[in-house]
Amino acid sequence: MEIVSEVLQLFLHPENFLAIALGVVIGVVVGSIPGLTATMAVALALPFTFSMEPVAAILLLVGIYKGGMYGGSITAILIRTPGSPASACTLLDGYPMAQQGHAKKALKTALYSSVIADFISNIALIFFAAYLAKIALNFGAPEFFWLICFSLTIIISLASGSMIKGLLAALMGILLSLVGLDEVFGSQRLTFGNYNLMDSISFIPLLIGLFAIPEIIEFYRKKAVPHIKAKASGAGLSLAELKRCLKSIVRGSLIGVIIGAIPGTGATAAAFISYSDARRRSPRRDNFGKGEVEGVAASEAGNNGVAGATMIPLLSLGIPGDVITAIILGAFMVHGLTPGPILFQENLPLIYALFMGIMFSSLVLLVVGNGAIKYFSLIADIPKAILFPIVLMFCVYGAYAVNNDTFDVWLMLGFGVLGYIFNRAAIPAAPFLIGFILGPMFEDNLRRSLLIGGNDLSIFMRGPITWFFIALTLGSIVLALYRYVTARRLPTRADTSQDAP
Amino acid sequence: MKNFLKAASLAVCSGGLAMAASISTVHADEWPSDDVRLVVPYAPGGTTDVLSRRVADLLQEELDANVVVENRPGAGSTVATGRLARGGRDVDHTILMASPGHTIGAAIYPDLAYDPVEDFVFLQNLIDIPNVMVVPADSPYDSVEAFVEAAREENMTFSHSGVGSSIHMSGELFKTLTETNMTAVPFAGSGAALPALLGGDVDVSFENMPTVLSHIKSGDLKALAVTSAERSEHLPDVPTLREVGDYNLDQFVTTAWFGLIAHESFPQEAQDAMQEALEAVMQREEFLDFANQLGAEPGQVAGEEFKQFIAAEVERWQGVAEEAGIRQ
Repeated sequence: MEIVSEVLQLFLHPENFLAIALGVVIGVVVGSIPGLTATMAVALALPFTFSMEPVAAILLLVGIYKGGMYGGSITAILIRTPGSPASACTLLDGYPMAQQGHAKKALKTALYSSVIADFISNIALIFFAAYLAKIALNFGAPEFFWLICFSLTIIISLASGSMIKGLLAALMGILLSLVGLDEVFGSQRLTFGNYNLMDSISFIPLLIGLFAIPEIIEFYRKKAVPHIKAKASGAGLSLAELKRCLKSIVRGSLIGVIIGAIPGTGATAAAFISYSDARRRSPRRDNFGKGEVEGVAASEAGNNGVAGATMIPLLSLGIPGDVITAIILGAFMVHGLTPGPILFQENLPLIYALFMGIMFSSLVLLVVGNGAIKYFSLIADIPKAILFPIVLMFCVYGAYAVNNDTFDVWLMLGFGVLGYIFNRAAIPAAPFLIGFILGPMFEDNLRRSLLIGGNDLSIFMRGPITWFFIALTLGSIVLALYRYVTARRLPTRADTSQDAP
Repeated sequence: MKNFLKAASLAVCSGGLAMAASISTVHADEWPSDDVRLVVPYAPGGTTDVLSRRVADLLQEELDANVVVENRPGAGSTVATGRLARGGRDVDHTILMASPGHTIGAAIYPDLAYDPVEDFVFLQNLIDIPNVMVVPADSPYDSVEAFVEAAREENMTFSHSGVGSSIHMSGELFKTLTETNMTAVPFAGSGAALPALLGGDVDVSFENMPTVLSHIKSGDLKALAVTSAERSEHLPDVPTLREVGDYNLDQFVTTAWFGLIAHESFPQEAQDAMQEALEAVMQREEFLDFANQLGAEPGQVAGEEFKQFIAAEVERWQGVAEEAGIRQ
């Protein structure tokens, strides 16, 4: 009983509620501006938390993290410019929905699935932290390698239309991801002696270029396109639709939780894995990429499922899984607290107060998100002739803001041209992105495993986790091939997939 | 629509106002006559960034001028450092938070357009973070001696947070000095490297103290030695590598140091003002608390001594990098 009152005493502080609300608002706004990421916002907010109470300080940062994870989807849906890398997957279906006049529905879907995923992720953090942390520790380089292999088979399922084009796009993505420094020897690869390329190609300029710019070129090339009124006041998400998506949301959340609990993978990968899992299972598979509600729901559930779960290795092991949790770790330490098993022994009330705050933040996200949709969806009503110059300005600014460097602006414009060629040639962008994100993880974990195992291949089959993912990978390939072959035998189905983007 | 336009124009107006307000009106005859720009050569969120923002806060009060932190990441800090070396308009109000990347970068990047020693003035070494030689809790080795003997017989692996990091270079230095067989296993940052160490996938690491301190205290990792010249007050029972003495380890003293540098033409008047302000900052309770939480010791050297330290570091890492075959 004593602990309950202690926890409440720590939690029931106006400062805490203010911190959560402020954090989520900052996160949503910053997350929705291309080039400004939640990571930057958390880093910038950190010094302000030094003088705050520890619980409020951490909750402010967690709020920004969660808000930012959702905020990125707003511009992805409305102007095809992902506000943050993790929302790149959301635009695959979100933007087509907005184009068809369902901007509000897409935004609401993103919000509800984000909030549900967030909630599930929090539950996992609170009740299964110790268990999941143990799994994370057993997840070494070989296990990682097979997880990535399994995820790479996604490309087959995402290559809607032409398998050849899909694989081509994936290989291009992998090729471009090789640019930069070799992880083991530190030698330069494909940098052509250019210092700007040494840290590899920045992801945000690539995303902005690939998606937003072709849209702008297309608009001015065609000139008189009738403006589809996006109907900001249009219908939201109906209960029946939410029900239909619920399975994908829950599965996406669980994917996010597992990926978040393992340090070093990240929300972007989780979104794509969840998206393709949903696509593989959905009866409306062929509608994915053309404005399918379930696609938006799955991808947002995947990336928000990560948010709470990344706190698992942080709190229970003291290991930050990404840059944001590394900053949050810094905030803990500034207040003289060290996350890890000892914190649970010495500061249990504080942990519980944090958990309450984190749960509460899901609720705040729902309220703030709804408010944001009200105003942001007005963007959908702006005539494109006015909107697109502004979007272009944001693209340039966003690319510049990542590293404060004009090189990234040129990079962004270059990828704009590439994206336009992709559009014209009907080459799907999703496999390209997956290749770009997962390619380096594949290589690094392969080489890491070989270094750890002294070039002995048996390390790749060293335990149940590797066996599990080997089975999944093989199963996934066989299933995809089976579907591909049967689809070819039915000429009518093959025809319908011709017009895929 | 109307509301949106109204909000937008309001935002533009308030942005303009904020900019106008931020133009400071400091006297032009004494330094600083303008905002001071503190360049962080890494992305937001890392130790360098967090430290810089803390120092900027305190420096602001001591200098009575705005101190603006600017992140300029790229190529292991050499992009920002190269830009500072080239000079420019506001170079007399620009300072940069240098760290081991400054000296290691000079050793491993080819064709650097600047001299890491002669092109800069060295203001103040702010903090030093020791590295700790750690092994998993169930490792059979309880001392540096036992580890070295074993590593001469069989191949060992050590994890690090990226090619050219102080953790990586410490491992390479150890390997060179002790003439042992060790393979470097790279990870994307310390966060990703830690599970491999905790789970026993790698045999040893030379991690930064703050990253592993809690794991040492909880018994998940065993600390064999610290790399600093003196024992750390955070781990008083753990010997320094220098104490081991054998295997050439008496030469093994290295810390992750952080300090402020400026362009070589930084005016003397500014150097004096900065010196005074930094000395005051380093006396502040807030600074000492912060350093303590990082597991760091306040920096020891400033000015000419700091410069000599950097020159020696550059020379040492060049030797290690050559030995290990690291050249970017």
